[in-house]
Amino acid sequence: MASKQFKNGLIAGLPVLFGYIPVGIAFAILAHQAGFNLWETCSFSIFVFAGASQMMAAGMYAQGAGIAAIIIATFILNLRHIIMSACVLNRMDDAPLWKKALAMFGTTDESFALFTTEKKENCTVAFFAGVVLITYLSWNVGTLLGAILSDFLPDIITASLGIALYALFISLLVPKISGNLRLTALAVLTGLCNMLLCHIIDSSWALIVSTLLCAFIGIFFVRAEDLREEAHKDET
Amino acid sequence: MRLEIVLLVLGMTLVTYIPRALPAVFLDKIRLSPRLERFLNLIPYTAMAALIFPGVLTVDTAQPLIGILGGVTALVLAWRKCPLMVCVLAAIGVDFILYLFI
Repeated sequence: MASKQFKNGLIAGLPVLFGYIPVGIAFAILAHQAGFNLWETCSFSIFVFAGASQMMAAGMYAQGAGIAAIIIATFILNLRHIIMSACVLNRMDDAPLWKKALAMFGTTDESFALFTTEKKENCTVAFFAGVVLITYLSWNVGTLLGAILSDFLPDIITASLGIALYALFISLLVPKISGNLRLTALAVLTGLCNMLLCHIIDSSWALIVSTLLCAFIGIFFVRAEDLREEAHKDET
Repeated sequence: MRLEIVLLVLGMTLVTYIPRALPAVFLDKIRLSPRLERFLNLIPYTAMAALIFPGVLTVDTAQPLIGILGGVTALVLAWRKCPLMVCVLAAIGVDFILYLFI
């Protein structure tokens, strides 16, 4: 049963290949420009496994930032993973602590988005491990490819791949909210709130604040059946 | 590999893993109220919306059109219930064509 769940997770994670390989390549190109060699570039993806943080780190290093500043910025950017891991664990069937602690290494925006919009019966640690493995491998394959190719890839390809992650988030969110006015309104409100906050505070903080604030506002006008309807739609 | 980079990777690994694993250690010990659970259930929607907007407008900081048209392509196809991979590849394709002309 667990191995079938694991396989289902691998399959569910497949679309992330198209988001992660291009972005992995993009990260490696950025790291190459920042002066990291192939092994240094790959070690970020192997051990850290956090796209936005790695991009930020390469950018900061290129601008001459110190190691401590980069680590602190990474910590702030990754605070949102506390909420994401809590959401994933909240939906997940119970499992031994070591399994959960190991699987949570793979909490990313994408594995979180896939898992928390997945059918309840698939919400097991084995399924999540499948999603994590496929996302981890595609991120590392992308990084390695990018590190090797960074000297040869034409600019136009690199530039076109920039939209990949956004397209992925849009395709995950839209089917979940289309046909439901209250959830659509909540998504629009969050986007606008985030845009406003981006002008006032740093964009990684704006993301955290608007996510939390708008989910809190949502408690008061999104009805329980909106979320139940969604769960029901999943089963058909 | 330079020592400085070993320390950087090590530090980033720690500050990335700790927030990820923390709820696994502490969440079991608390019971969630229905309201808190609804809050947590709404977070995927708000987090995804915040990840998309306004970041999508600055995919190419010099050309907002790249993000807008790529994003709208994914939006329309996802709304028409096209598979995930189709939406993503179509958005990349549209931006590739755009870059050929600008």
